[in-house]
Amino acid sequence: MYDLSDVLDVAALEAVQPGTSILVSGPAMSGTEPLVRDVLASGASDGEGAVFLTTGGTAADVLDDLRSRAPEVDPSRLCAIDCRGNGDGAEEASDGALRHHVGDPSDLTGLGIGVTKSFDRLDLAGIDRGRLGLASLSTMLTYTDRQTVFKFCHVLTARIDAADFVGAFTIDESAHDEQTLQVVKQPFDGLIEIRERDGDREARVLGVQPDPSPWVDL
Amino acid sequence: MSDSEDSVVLIVEDEPDVAETYRLWLDQDYEVSVAEDGDEGLSRLDERVDVVLLDRMMPGLSGDEVLEAIRDRDLDCRVAMVTAVEPDFDILEMGFDAYLSKPVKSDHLLRTVDNLLERSAYDALLQDYYALVEKRATLESTKSRAELANSDRYDRLCDEIESIRDDLADTLGGVEDDDDFVATIRGLTDDS
Repeated sequence: MYDLSDVLDVAALEAVQPGTSILVSGPAMSGTEPLVRDVLASGASDGEGAVFLTTGGTAADVLDDLRSRAPEVDPSRLCAIDCRGNGDGAEEASDGALRHHVGDPSDLTGLGIGVTKSFDRLDLAGIDRGRLGLASLSTMLTYTDRQTVFKFCHVLTARIDAADFVGAFTIDESAHDEQTLQVVKQPFDGLIEIRERDGDREARVLGVQPDPSPWVDL
Repeated sequence: MSDSEDSVVLIVEDEPDVAETYRLWLDQDYEVSVAEDGDEGLSRLDERVDVVLLDRMMPGLSGDEVLEAIRDRDLDCRVAMVTAVEPDFDILEMGFDAYLSKPVKSDHLLRTVDNLLERSAYDALLQDYYALVEKRATLESTKSRAELANSDRYDRLCDEIESIRDDLADTLGGVEDDDDFVATIRGLTDDS
């Protein structure tokens, strides 16, 4: 089981089944990506592997950010995949973290190869628990049609399931129509919704347990 | 695979003895076609072919060139490279779906062809799954909760989606293997 409740204090997140993937949905700038980074950093602090796919930032920035959230972590269990490369593939940062670069977010094969390399490296290091984050599906949807993004999410969450990891992917709900959101939600086992009320951020969890959780402050 | 007798395997191999050996191994389970070089391979290739066994080193067009031509033609077939030496590069990054190193053993050949056909079955299921999910999303975004609760059509759709999701989890072991995972993702971008 994975305990994600230190990031979001909700009973439904105290014992998340290995293989579970969760979609983190909220309006733009509502903190979906920082939440996912916290989920990864928290796991890495407990000795788990962390694999993060960023569609906008650089792998180096992601690794710096994860290390600032989890200062004690052994960098060799951190992997970051970005879309800022020129097809030069994987490299090891001087601290032992893995960086993998693909050309742009439409290079799904490259992203898949990055995930495979990350999982292989964690496996070789004897790490059999881990968390995979992706931010964001909204960017991927601007490069690739809905059908392909849906299938990519299905195959990637199936791979996460096979590895007994947990996954957390973000989407900016204000950027898409209702139909797109319904389709893209389908591959996920659960949903964390973020909303803003009177300047405060709140979140709740759906799908992990039969009933939605109450809204809690983020 | 239940429908394997309908599946077509194309062997592209310049050594006649080797090609004949493969043909004999595959003949019982599949419809087999043999080409002696890359040009003949491309002329024998049509949408009926499911799997191509492609020798990498041939006089005339090389295996890599044939692969490129296959991908250019947007055919759905899966391509296994047959090579004399274990490749030291990532064949998946090159666009092949699998590789076999010579000398090829019969059980390895049959297992590889079977796996490639299962990948095609997975792709087809994934397409059906997507179509159903789109249909349900249309209903969900146009009907009220009360209408959905009373709709037999909506219930049936939800059942079908669950059942196809289970089928996908059973096919390819749910893409447990790294090669299956990357090859499946590459198939997504080939289609679109």
